Amino acid sequence: MSEASSAPEAPSVPEVPTAEGDAQIFGRGYRPYEGDRAGVGGAVWSTARHSFRAALGLGRPARHKILPVVAAVLSFLPAVALAGISALLGSSFDAAEDFLPAYHEYYGFIGVSLVLYCGLVVPDILVADRRNGLFGLYMSTPLQRWSYLAAKAQAVMMTLAIVTVGPVLVLLLAYTLYGAGPEGLGGWTLALGRILGAGLAYAALYAAVSLAVASLTDRRAIASVGVIGLIIGTSIVAPILVEGAEMSAQFNLLNLLVMPYNMVEVIFGAPVTTEGLTAFEVVRVCAGWTVAGCAAIWWRYRRLEAS
Amino acid sequence: MPVVEAAALTQRFGTAVALDSLDVAVPGGVTGLVGANGAGKTTFLYAVLGLRRPTSGSVRVLGLDPVADGSKLRSMVGFAPERNVLPDEMRAIDFVRHLAEVRGLPRKEARTRASDALWLVGLGEERLRALGTMSTGQRQRVKLAQAIASDPRLVLLDEPTDGLDPVQRNEMLALIRQVSTEFGADVIVSSHVLDEVEQVCDHVVAIDAGRLVASGALSDLVGDRSGLALELVERADAPGAAAAVEAALAASGLRVRRDGLKLVVEGADHGELCDRVRDAVSEASAGLRRLGTRRHNLEDLFEDRAAEEMRA
Repeated sequence: MSEASSAPEAPSVPEVPTAEGDAQIFGRGYRPYEGDRAGVGGAVWSTARHSFRAALGLGRPARHKILPVVAAVLSFLPAVALAGISALLGSSFDAAEDFLPAYHEYYGFIGVSLVLYCGLVVPDILVADRRNGLFGLYMSTPLQRWSYLAAKAQAVMMTLAIVTVGPVLVLLLAYTLYGAGPEGLGGWTLALGRILGAGLAYAALYAAVSLAVASLTDRRAIASVGVIGLIIGTSIVAPILVEGAEMSAQFNLLNLLVMPYNMVEVIFGAPVTTEGLTAFEVVRVCAGWTVAGCAAIWWRYRRLEAS
Repeated sequence: MPVVEAAALTQRFGTAVALDSLDVAVPGGVTGLVGANGAGKTTFLYAVLGLRRPTSGSVRVLGLDPVADGSKLRSMVGFAPERNVLPDEMRAIDFVRHLAEVRGLPRKEARTRASDALWLVGLGEERLRALGTMSTGQRQRVKLAQAIASDPRLVLLDEPTDGLDPVQRNEMLALIRQVSTEFGADVIVSSHVLDEVEQVCDHVVAIDAGRLVASGALSDLVGDRSGLALELVERADAPGAAAAVEAALAASGLRVRRDGLKLVVEGADHGELCDRVRDAVSEASAGLRRLGTRRHNLEDLFEDRAAEEMRA
């Protein structure tokens, strides 16, 4: 099939170009593929990589790159600034420890970026395939519903991890570089593990919630409004219920903007800053949101016709 | 071994029956799946792909159960759906390469073969263009390219000539033929345009309202049967001559179909048909405007079926 590879059937291409350089390809022949096929695992990884690239606007016109770049800049900018500050402070860093944020506190800076990603970038990863019929074509490949969704979830996790893991890793490297990082290899490994764990848990929760909303509509705009409305809406309703209506502090568990941050605090061993909630309650409710989101997606896709 | 073998395959959607006890064996080569819109062609293709569990009956494809062995089977099958499934902002090469990868090809191999497939369908120069900027004909070719890029053993094409002008249609049919002859892949092509199927297929599966009308080699179904087509002129002094000719020919045991003054006559060898038509026209005092040989075609299969149902 290719003139560049070893073909059992010789393509009818002139072997020696003429001196005038007017060689032409008259036929490209055909070469059957006899190697191994990657199977479902390969299909999942290929679809995840493809969706990840699409979400970031890679290989697409420039306008598709604007939003991911803006969100990434918003999330990395504080980390870069803090890295610069820690470099300036140098040996006097210890004195500034109260001024510079701890790793888990950095997640307070990335809330806006995450909501932007979840509302404006993530829905298209699912919605576009249903809208243009590509979902049906995917189902004609080795992918099945569950493996297709696994690929999409993987793509969303990778996309969100840019925001939830990337900047905090920059912070870790900066603090380490300027002598204010965790002590010893054990401390450093623990910090790294917590950053990865917190970032992935954060990403998993938001991926499940935003994909669940996106699975319910074929209109990207509606999905975006739904995701942002859900996250921001719960962050408005929960304080009104607890503080305004003086209801139980347990209603804070509804707050999708704050709960993931509290979960990060738990992972880093810090006290939960939302009053009246225990670490166990926070972890349980975050796991609940994640599982509920996954269940909603599966419920929707089990019923979706592959056409 | 047949490429596709269905036994009493039935597919219901609520009270609607899309496939009704379909028994069919599709051999290798190019097979046309013909029928009117809504006849059940797409439903049959989806059953072949294992995308819908049959209500009852069974289907085996390349020796595999499409539902139980779906992933394995679909890595060996290329499919081009009827509807437009191309993401507008992707480049043709990226789209075809991605689908080849999803069907199991290694990344480098997928890239090479995607490029080659686009060259083969005549889009080599256009491979870097965004799909949204392509014409209907080009988009149909991209769909074909993605179906063949992974070197499938079986290619399923659902209405691949939909929306094409006559020139593009002929080019597409030639490509479909090439997929079978040059690539060695078996092809099932669904179409409601019978001419296309006659032009490109070795075998035919004709379905109507989910039921099998006919199945077999194209030459067996249409090739050996021929008849005469004639157009009469009724003279003022002999009204009803066309009906009289029809009655006389039918009375002599021939199959006759009449549409106004046009008749199609079958059921005897060419010489005898000519003699009987001459006699019948003469006795009815009708004028003869046109007389010619008429090859039996796929349309006749459906007309015969309709006539049988009317009689029943």
